[in-house]
Amino acid sequence: MNVRPNRTALACLFALALPCLSHAADYTVQPSASTLGFSGSFQGSSFDGHFDKWTAAIRYDQAKLAASKFDVTVDLSSAKTGDSDRDGALPGTDFFNVAKYPQAHFVTTGFRQQGAQVIADGNLTLRGVTKPVSLVVAFKPQGSGATLDVSGSVKRLDFGVGGGQYADTSVIGPDVKISAHLVLAAK
Amino acid sequence: MSLRSDKRQWGSIAKLFHWLVALGILVNGVWGLLMTDMSPSMSKISIYALHKSIGLTILALFFLRLAWRLYDRAPPDEPAPLWQRVAAHATHALLYGLILAMPLSGWWYNSLHGFPLQWFKLFNLPALAGKNEELAHTAHAIHEYLFYLLLLVLIAHVGAALKHHFFDKDNVLRRMLPFTRTRRNPSP
Repeated sequence: MNVRPNRTALACLFALALPCLSHAADYTVQPSASTLGFSGSFQGSSFDGHFDKWTAAIRYDQAKLAASKFDVTVDLSSAKTGDSDRDGALPGTDFFNVAKYPQAHFVTTGFRQQGAQVIADGNLTLRGVTKPVSLVVAFKPQGSGATLDVSGSVKRLDFGVGGGQYADTSVIGPDVKISAHLVLAAK
Repeated sequence: MSLRSDKRQWGSIAKLFHWLVALGILVNGVWGLLMTDMSPSMSKISIYALHKSIGLTILALFFLRLAWRLYDRAPPDEPAPLWQRVAAHATHALLYGLILAMPLSGWWYNSLHGFPLQWFKLFNLPALAGKNEELAHTAHAIHEYLFYLLLLVLIAHVGAALKHHFFDKDNVLRRMLPFTRTRRNPSP
């Protein structure tokens, strides 16, 4: 009778200690509350867009950055920018070329603390090109879950998005800002 | 030739406004009719951008020209029957109205469609209205039909000027031409 509570306590301690030793916490994304957006510029005027279809595997612990990992897959045909002409052009060969490259993929290679900020370094594969991309991470635990905001910037021509005749950056701006807001639930 | 108009002919500033606007209407009219059939491409984007920049330039020239026209004294009418003089002034008034309405209707259409509006890649202008794609179709039709109306009025304007020049052999066209002298003794 005396032994059981001790074993339970031990098991509880062990269960608590185990993830601390090897893993940061895994989360599932709440798709309805989460957004993956981007913003570019056209003829001196900025426009906002977002992806409707994407998935993200998030493992994160502010105290264990080495064990943290983001793995995001984006369905490029789901890009919407609120303009039918532009949305018609984005999946085409000149831009995302979704027939050949339906998805973009971002996976972190490491996290680092930079002052008060956490930076996620990773590789973005888009349109068959893989390049390093760094994102600023803001993680806020909320109850058993969390909110995660990331932002960064990519050069569209690094990936050949709008290359060729659309390469003129005085018409279509060179930088595309990326910002995502994820609502996470503990797995 | 003086900057200001005199009794014999239009001054060089009035002439400059007239011919710049004429050139702008010609270029924008031809492109405007052809460009809508282009398939999407960077050339199409560039031509639309140029069409808008030229249209905005014509709009700015309109206001400068109107201010100058009010300040400068127009040369008196050449001798002609009263109905012709009334018709000429009515045509001019209609032309002024259409030259104002063309760029404004284009700007309105552009705004309703949610397109950016840039002047020769130098600065952006605000939208005249919020995005409304349904109304944009109407605005586009207005922009297009105003041009056909402008074309009709221009045919009357140019036709009358040529008639005066070649048949009446008077100074009506000569006094607006950039490098000609007016006839000293207009034929009766």
